[in-house]
Amino acid sequence: MQYALEGSQALARTVALCRPQVIAAYPITPQTHIVENLSKLVADGALNCELVSVESEFSAASVVLGAVAAGARAYTASSSQGILLMSEVLFNIAGLRLPLVMTCANRAVSGPLSIWNDQQDSMAVRDAGWIQLYCANNQEAVDTTIQAYHIAEQTELPVMVCVDGFTLTHTLEVLDIPDQQQVDRFLPPFNFERRLDPSSPISIGTLVAPDYFTEARYDHHRAVNDAQQSIVAAAAAWEDVCGRRQNPLICVSDRQGARIGIMTLGSIAGTLAAARDHYNNAPATRLMALRSFRPFPAEAIRQACAGLTDLVVMERALSPGSGGIVGAEVRATLSEMNDAPRVHNFTVGLGGRDVPMDIYPRIHEGLRTGSGIPFGVLDLEPDKLPAAG
Amino acid sequence: MSHRELRQNQPRFSGLESGHRACQGCGEALAARLVTEAAGPDVVYANATGCLEVFTTAWPDSSWRVPWIHSLFENAPAVAAGMEAALKSRGKTTRVISMGGDGSTFDIGFQALSGMLERGHNVLHVCFDNEAYMNTGIQRSSSTPHAAVTTTSPSGKERMGKRHLKKDIVSIVAAHHIPYAATTSVAYPSDIRKKVRRALAIDGPTFLHVHSPCPLGWGHDGALSIEVARLAVQTGLFPIIELERGRLAGSMPIRTVHPVTDYLQLQNRFRHLFVDDARAREELEHLQALADHNIEVYNLRGTRPDNRDSEGADTVRRGGLRWA
Amino acid sequence: MGLKLTRGSFAHPASSLRYHTGSWRMERPVHRHRPAPCHTACPAGEDAQAWLALIAEERYREAWEKVVAVNPLPAITGRVCHHPCEVACNRGHFDEPVAIHHMERWLGDKAIAADWDYPATPLAHGSQGVAVIGSGPAGCSAAWQLSRRGYKVDLFEALPVAGGLLRSALPHYRLPRDVLDAELERLLASGITFRPGQRLGRDFSLDELKAEYAAVFLAPGTQRSREWNIDGATPHDLHVGLDLLKRWVDVGTIPEWSSAAVIGGGNTAIDLARILRHCGVETVHVVTHQSLPRAGVEQIDTMSAIPREIEQAMEEGVIFHEHRGVQRLVLRGEQVIGLELVHRKELHEADGSKRYVSFEGTESLLHVDQVIPAIGQSVDPAGLSTLLEQRSHLDASEHGRLDGHPGLYAGGDACGGHGSVSAAIGDGRRAALAIERDLQQQTDSAEPAADPVTPAQLNMNYFEPQARQHAPVLPVAERSGEVEIIGTLTPQQAAQEAMRCLSCGNCLACDNCWTLCPDIAVLKTRRPAEDGSHYLFDYDFCKGCGLCARECPTAYIMMEPEQ
Repeated sequence: MQYALEGSQALARTVALCRPQVIAAYPITPQTHIVENLSKLVADGALNCELVSVESEFSAASVVLGAVAAGARAYTASSSQGILLMSEVLFNIAGLRLPLVMTCANRAVSGPLSIWNDQQDSMAVRDAGWIQLYCANNQEAVDTTIQAYHIAEQTELPVMVCVDGFTLTHTLEVLDIPDQQQVDRFLPPFNFERRLDPSSPISIGTLVAPDYFTEARYDHHRAVNDAQQSIVAAAAAWEDVCGRRQNPLICVSDRQGARIGIMTLGSIAGTLAAARDHYNNAPATRLMALRSFRPFPAEAIRQACAGLTDLVVMERALSPGSGGIVGAEVRATLSEMNDAPRVHNFTVGLGGRDVPMDIYPRIHEGLRTGSGIPFGVLDLEPDKLPAAG
Repeated sequence: MSHRELRQNQPRFSGLESGHRACQGCGEALAARLVTEAAGPDVVYANATGCLEVFTTAWPDSSWRVPWIHSLFENAPAVAAGMEAALKSRGKTTRVISMGGDGSTFDIGFQALSGMLERGHNVLHVCFDNEAYMNTGIQRSSSTPHAAVTTTSPSGKERMGKRHLKKDIVSIVAAHHIPYAATTSVAYPSDIRKKVRRALAIDGPTFLHVHSPCPLGWGHDGALSIEVARLAVQTGLFPIIELERGRLAGSMPIRTVHPVTDYLQLQNRFRHLFVDDARAREELEHLQALADHNIEVYNLRGTRPDNRDSEGADTVRRGGLRWA
Repeated sequence: MGLKLTRGSFAHPASSLRYHTGSWRMERPVHRHRPAPCHTACPAGEDAQAWLALIAEERYREAWEKVVAVNPLPAITGRVCHHPCEVACNRGHFDEPVAIHHMERWLGDKAIAADWDYPATPLAHGSQGVAVIGSGPAGCSAAWQLSRRGYKVDLFEALPVAGGLLRSALPHYRLPRDVLDAELERLLASGITFRPGQRLGRDFSLDELKAEYAAVFLAPGTQRSREWNIDGATPHDLHVGLDLLKRWVDVGTIPEWSSAAVIGGGNTAIDLARILRHCGVETVHVVTHQSLPRAGVEQIDTMSAIPREIEQAMEEGVIFHEHRGVQRLVLRGEQVIGLELVHRKELHEADGSKRYVSFEGTESLLHVDQVIPAIGQSVDPAGLSTLLEQRSHLDASEHGRLDGHPGLYAGGDACGGHGSVSAAIGDGRRAALAIERDLQQQTDSAEPAADPVTPAQLNMNYFEPQARQHAPVLPVAERSGEVEIIGTLTPQQAAQEAMRCLSCGNCLACDNCWTLCPDIAVLKTRRPAEDGSHYLFDYDFCKGCGLCARECPTAYIMMEPEQ
């Protein structure tokens, strides 16, 4: 059913449809509307679950960890500082193989302080062992959240659904919210085999010595890698239920004869698609929106980039002292190809800086005049920089 | 009957089994054993990082017979809160107990504990207090008593052990106005059992602070763990009290008050106080004053012999009958 | 290793049982039943801790059978014994000693009231008969021990009734006749053949006994009073202590004197002094070179009488003169009118020799009508001259054997020593055991040194003070000499008193070890284990920390080095 909803509101309703039994809520801009909306649903009796208003994000993640361990479907959301504060717990949840879904409303990370959108927060925890799926728009956020429970409970891995803060969370648009029967058909009740139960009293969270730790970590890595199949299958299955086309690992929008490709994650995919239509004199360009960052779909990326001479990777985070994060991984993966495209890696829109449509001709201009500089901050305004050093 | 069969036929529930790797005479192992026995099988446990979880779960071995999870150092009460919410949402009556040492309860996990208490979760938090970060090698925590020596509060020319006082955790916890908070000691197993059962019979957050000697960290023979714990109580340095909604509801009177030196001289961590030194003498007086203060504040002096006082509470009878 | 990881590395419950931490041990706890001090102090060898435990468990008959296995006369010793068990009792270091003596009397009386039979044993060694001479405590004890081991026993007694000194010399206020008769009748009905009116030397000889019996136990007592005179002088109407006592017990009267002095520090002297007072003698003195019992005085210098008796004597008005000897009789004609007393002590040298020394310059005069020596007895040599060889007592080994006389054994007062009823009972039992070993041609086993539990070894933290139960005592004004002065405990008092026993060296089933083991390495058994305990150590897991041993209230658990 179609509704005009703010992104956060839509997410709250979607989460409610997934019948979570425990929700941990701690507010942080720009995720607050999600937890507020959920609180209202609970207060109105529209959502029957245990809502735990915790005293920090660390506890938020810990509460849902405990809830899943005790056999309940759980949910929480956070951003930026909160993601980092709970990072220890995120590693723990993933290592213990607890199925969980969390919304990360992407926001820049202090210092300096910023409440606005970039993807430094989720990138900072990319090694925690979670599945990370980036949503290009609010409809995708709704659909991905539902699929996330399916994927999580099948793979016994936690899934982070990344949604650009403000840009998506605070944007009002018309969205299709599925009905309860559709979701119930797609998501059976949570039945966690390894749950803590007096009738089968296992011990979770043991100390593993060097003789087995490598295997434990490898088993985890293998599971996240293998999750690609679950992600693809979940997309296909949900497509059947809702009738909307779903993007699995990477969404490719090609143009006849395109030799240039631009790969992004998140909402700027929409900006670039609109720009491509608008600047129709620019060279044919293949647009790619990477949905699954973890597992990193190496094969799918290589396939998506086949035939390109230049690939621009535009991302919303950077690793100080190194450069692009996604770009570096994509470059490494493409280097295994014959005839790999030249990779141009840019960061754009840090700390919520608006990414206007004219970024598109600027990219093409840069490609035409440049010689493939390895990394740059595309929208840097050098006049504002202090003295180096 | 083989030992293994006999083990399965003991007239009490066993939550902790043999084969764990605690040091000889470990007070915390004993405390965990007594708590899990008294709580029974229908409980799930969240255990903070520390000695207890390390010596009980070196994969593939686990000494627990109860469902148990160890997550991190600072979040056991939060994990417990999540488990409680989950069980409640699933309509289960299984109880939840959160366990941690003094490091996690008093320091790094204090926030999570406070949050759990404030939200009124139906969780019992048990703190096994061995008065330092023992698992990492005997470093001071806010629970370490005044003048005790640890590796991060050593004694020397400039220092006489820990400068600061022992944090009064049970008062802080009680200030959350939870229905029940109490202290107890491994020297009084009947008292521990009684208090675990009392706490679990209450709806809402409860707290139990168990004094648990560490032979290695405190510097005494493993065989003396009970003796040391008993003296801590009988000197007044570790008062046995119960607080309900923040008000003192009961205490274990001390029938024969011992001078603090009886307790201190058994432990190497206080050895530096028994030298001919003015500062050492002052510290002994200070510790005695702290004990005297506790006795006064909690009204610990017993005027009549009583089976619930510090000498009656562990009275044995032929055939094993005790009052709890 | 081949073991596969679990998802998320979870572990299965109680899987740590495969890790045997017992390998960490440097020492291990063991159950060691050690004798309680009451046991090692008892001259008869009773294990008071054991039978008190049975009373605590309300197993009264078993308790009585436990006592009579060692001492067949509890109703008697429970009245007349000097109870060194109570002096040794570890509870005395906590609050007050357990009233073992009163408990034994209570149990003995209960057996009499319930008419419990002494456990009879079928004749196993019918061909080997044993003769016992004398039916005093030593003789009865030996006869009983042999009879219950299946030997045919003939118990010879010179008098028409059994009991020896128990009958002839113990005042009724200490041992009522009906109690004595009830105890002896049941004992003698248990399979012993009693032959009264048979006097050694007159009716049969030692050689005849040796020919007819496989072994002979001699317990004739000391029927002859020591000769007493002061520089060759004796009063013309000299009454010797024990004879006078016997006469009073038998006949009930004593010559009327207004004052008398009893010389001696033993039970006979005290009994006599008290009887004189009960019979109306106004002033009664006891003169002894020994010391009154008090703290700080060495045992060897103290009067051998039971302190309780001395105390009651003082209550009844007997005047004591300690460290005194009689230097001279003051006579007018042949009538004694007084005694010259002098300070006197028996000095003991390091080499064991001893001598009496009177201290010149300390003489004083004591006016008395009568002087009665009660300075000890010696064995009547009738029929025993070959054994005695001019000595005053028989010289028996600790097991009752007479060196150079195989087949002959002796015990009781006839062998000297302390002269107590319980010691005599102990002698009888030890000799009976030696007789059995000799008849079965077994060697004496080396007995380990006594190692009773000391107070420091107990953990008194686990006990609660509880006042000792008191038996009622007749006020002085009501003491007549006929009625028992000390009464009995009530059943409730007995139950309470049994609970006061600390169970030194034996398992109390208190659950401490089971409760306090951090490694859950003490298991509770469903039935008592072979060693009498209620728990087992699981050595697969015990780390040897020693908490169980330290917190065992009764010192039943010892740590010993791991091999």
